[in-house]
Amino acid sequence: MSARKIVLTSGKGGVGKTTTTANLGATLAKRGHRVILIDADIGLRNLDLVLGLEKRIVFDLVEVAEGRCQLRQALIKDKRFESLSILPAAQTREKDAITPEQFSAIVERAAEQADYVLIDSPAGIETGFRNAVAGASEAIVVTTPEVSSIRDADRVVGKIAADGKPMRLIVNRLRPEMVRSGDMLSVDDVCDVLSIELLGIVPDDEEVIDTTNRGEPLVLNDANRLRAIYDKIARRLEGELVPFTSFDGQGFLGRILDALKAG
Amino acid sequence: MHQVESIQPEPAASAAPAKLGRAIVLTSGKGGVGKTTTTANLGTALARRGSSVVMIDADVGLRNLDIVLGLESRVTHHLLDVLEDRVTLDDALIADKHSENLFLLAAAQSREKDEVETSKMQALVSSLRERFDYVLIDCPAGIELGFRNAVAGADEAIVVCTPEVSAVRDVDRVVGLLGNRFRPQLVINRLRPQLVKKGKMLSVEDVNAILRLPLLGVLAEEPEIVVTTNRGEPLALHKNNATGAAYHAIAARLAGDDVPPPMPPAVKPTLFERIGSLVGRKRT
Repeated sequence: MSARKIVLTSGKGGVGKTTTTANLGATLAKRGHRVILIDADIGLRNLDLVLGLEKRIVFDLVEVAEGRCQLRQALIKDKRFESLSILPAAQTREKDAITPEQFSAIVERAAEQADYVLIDSPAGIETGFRNAVAGASEAIVVTTPEVSSIRDADRVVGKIAADGKPMRLIVNRLRPEMVRSGDMLSVDDVCDVLSIELLGIVPDDEEVIDTTNRGEPLVLNDANRLRAIYDKIARRLEGELVPFTSFDGQGFLGRILDALKAG
Repeated sequence: MHQVESIQPEPAASAAPAKLGRAIVLTSGKGGVGKTTTTANLGTALARRGSSVVMIDADVGLRNLDIVLGLESRVTHHLLDVLEDRVTLDDALIADKHSENLFLLAAAQSREKDEVETSKMQALVSSLRERFDYVLIDCPAGIELGFRNAVAGADEAIVVCTPEVSAVRDVDRVVGLLGNRFRPQLVINRLRPQLVKKGKMLSVEDVNAILRLPLLGVLAEEPEIVVTTNRGEPLALHKNNATGAAYHAIAARLAGDDVPPPMPPAVKPTLFERIGSLVGRKRT
């Protein structure tokens, strides 16, 4: 049985593609799946940093494509999760160092030895994006509840729809208290614009910066509230029907607000 | 493919000496660090100092600078219309709503980056430098063709970086790709003094120990940015806002004024402030 090949993309940069790839990949691995993460951001790789594996890179995606090493030699096993490995991007090469055909062939080979292949797409809609999408059979579009991010996501949704690939949406870095005060678009607003199926809602969490700097995905921390959220996303991806968390009344400020109201 | 060397400066029509504005590209490698927000605010701050400024959105296919400036419904023509000689430059320049002497040249939304000819982009920036004091070029994320076209016409660079290892690594790569020609200066964006104090975020010194660039400015994380972006009003319109003031300081420093060096934002009791504003908002 071949793996599911899923690209994580967004159009706009900095919305959390890499963080989502790392955390979703780790969650799926913890749930017993064999997972391979591919960093498609040639020249600006970061997935290795987020997972704290940067010092263990020997070979990269481009070297595999050029036949200078085997895929299994380039894959880095994440020791914290038995069944998680990553294929790092090349740092000193350009996006056009690899063709969509070469990329797809590598994804296929990865798919033979995994249950899930998650492809971390670069920002933008240029060659790197096209390569990343070419290898996938489905997509997760990541967006934040900001006008600019949604506009970019809309452009990407159009491109992936033209390829006929199914896609689902993760709304990332939601700040419930800002939605409540009318300063941020709500998940409903976002879904109205993009009209694709919702896969998950991830609230903004300042721990993300620290965990990225330390190379430890959030989901390693049992105390972090995002762990349960990524777990739900993973279960939805597996096909389970999991209700969405309502973020109304949650969060510290929300609780203060509720307390004020009650008082 | 794209012949960079074929570009010649426009011959001067007469003996009148052309003014030569500064063409500055704002770039970062990583997306979402604040290039577009910085472009809009710096453009606003420079224009409010009395300079004439044009901002070019070089993110063909994923334009956003128009949204941040609140000009999205005024876009009728775009960069590629000008580059492909369908309209004149004057027809495509959109006057800003809030500031005199500030103009936007929007990107095409339904076109691709590889449709931009590098030599034409260079020629466009050259001709804009003769009309404006500052040409600010908002570069797309990444280091692909869109990046190369955005930097092609510039002679200076501002690199925008957040205090995160991934952003620092990407900026370091971009500085390497820029080479020696652009004299890159650094803007550190979205610093959270409280996290730095707790040792959970890189400090200004940490970032610049790696990048070692002239520091043009440091901006604190500003929750208001989301609101102002959605509303299309750059914070630099308000000098009494700390972030707005910081953009004005960056503009002054860029212009060569003798202003104090950038300081990391002070740690504030933000929680009380936020509760205070929340209570205040409830009462009004």
